[in-house]
Amino acid sequence: MRVSVNKIVLYVIVGVLALLWLLPVWTTFFVAFKTPEEFISQKFYQFSRKISIIENLRNTFKIYKLHKHFLNSVIYAASGAGIAIIAASMAGFSIIRLRPRFNFLLFFLIYSGTLFPFQMYLIPVYKFFYTIGLYDTKVGMVLIYAALCIPFSLFVYRGFYTTIPKEIEDAAKIDGCGPIKLYLYIFLPQSIAPTAVVALFQMTWIWNDLLFGMVLTRSAVARPVMIALASMSGPSGGTIMPYTMSGVIFTSIPTILLFILLRKYFISGMVLSVSGE
Amino acid sequence: MKTNERVISYLFIIPALLLVLVLLIIPMFQNIYYSFFEWDGLKKPVFIGLKNYRSILTDENFIVSLRNTLIWVAFTIVFPVMGGLLVAIFIKGIAFEKFFKSVFFIPITISFVATGIMWQYMFSREMGVLNNLLLLMGVDRKISWLTGVPLNTFALLIGWTWQQLGMNMVLFLMGLVTIPKEQIEASMIDGANKWQSFIHVTFPMLRPITTIVITMAMVNSFKAFDIIYVMTRGGPYRSSETLAVTMFRETFIIFRMGYGAAISVVLSIIVIAVSFFYIKRMARKDLLYY
Repeated sequence: MRVSVNKIVLYVIVGVLALLWLLPVWTTFFVAFKTPEEFISQKFYQFSRKISIIENLRNTFKIYKLHKHFLNSVIYAASGAGIAIIAASMAGFSIIRLRPRFNFLLFFLIYSGTLFPFQMYLIPVYKFFYTIGLYDTKVGMVLIYAALCIPFSLFVYRGFYTTIPKEIEDAAKIDGCGPIKLYLYIFLPQSIAPTAVVALFQMTWIWNDLLFGMVLTRSAVARPVMIALASMSGPSGGTIMPYTMSGVIFTSIPTILLFILLRKYFISGMVLSVSGE
Repeated sequence: MKTNERVISYLFIIPALLLVLVLLIIPMFQNIYYSFFEWDGLKKPVFIGLKNYRSILTDENFIVSLRNTLIWVAFTIVFPVMGGLLVAIFIKGIAFEKFFKSVFFIPITISFVATGIMWQYMFSREMGVLNNLLLLMGVDRKISWLTGVPLNTFALLIGWTWQQLGMNMVLFLMGLVTIPKEQIEASMIDGANKWQSFIHVTFPMLRPITTIVITMAMVNSFKAFDIIYVMTRGGPYRSSETLAVTMFRETFIIFRMGYGAAISVVLSIIVIAVSFFYIKRMARKDLLYY
């Protein structure tokens, strides 16, 4: 009897917590579906009579050019993470398999880029970009995102390449494979798992970035999506909530999709970033 | 190694090294250098030695910001971390475990900016969900969640907990999987109740993962920026700023670049100190491999 009472208490606690966790989600959806008038006149728990989320979203495109910023961020996530994947897998391959002199030092030098808070880089990079004309450009943003993604990516690839058996490499060498062929035909095709981990974590990070986008860009040509989203709300108010919430949902779709597609790599990514193995 | 191969081995590292060197490593040293200057971003920087660091100690805004940051760290350890551990233990093995796990996992998949906006709506004074829920329960009093001091810092932390707890829960669930069932059962046979077996068996065995989760949570809360920027901009009157927000304001809104650089150096020292053992452990593992 006592056990079942405990069980009931447990379920009540977990159930209430789960409801608390769902509360912001469903109220956000409710707001996004309302017209601005309904948002004022209805209670938060009432569902809108007319579904106007598409109309709301269209207004965020018109007023905030959200679609342009969205596209900018698609470019940044794809090419920033893409460059990091290529550069880091090459470097990881070289450090593990070609073993140049000072390979550990080189690894640690690159990896140290992930140890410091991003605030350490903001001012000099801002100044540097301003001087060489990369401020407020897409190229500049791709480069900084790629650089920020490389340390973690290298860590992942380097770890993964240690697990590829040496015999495969030796066999390839006997067949006359040079280091470039070895990388292209043996190592790269086997790198699906680390690439998925890097893509999931780094594309999500780039998509969600607010800080670098705010500091290094100014116009709709280069501003990433999160800055546009952040500008749609603020402590001073004056924004139309249903528009903002439709934007919240719209801009969350890519990362949610990424998580659904690559969910089985999430845990292995967490294990990697946690245990350092 | 053949010369040819040696050249290729370096060529393979160069793209990664170059990007990181030019955009991260060199800027980091420049940033330390700038922290010794007074500089508004336009005029020529003036060398002032350690003055920026000395003014940090007497700057009231910095003291408030540091206090808030420490509140963030303490709160993070108690609610998102310990809360994450409790939720992990609660939902492990119960019916609908997968469903509950997904619920707490949702916030991980959306950005801090989106989270900030959602919680700003929750806490909004007139139209907000929380004040209207209170009204439904008969409390006819509008609470200024985001403009009252120090309430605003705690309101931010509630949004932060919503976003962070799921990650910690996932990590603790990973840790719980590794604990052999027999050990807990054995302790129960020896007469321990659930609570005692948790304290004496489960918790000690979770120690390694707990250390890592706490370290990561502390580092993340020291660096918290987005959610605060979105929900309050650090205000009103800079009352809810943390170090990362203060650095941003001083540098890119007030344009005290040298001072901002000094704050970022202080922040880095704190973060490195907190994660020192973690880094050392990882480095040792790496050295073992080499």
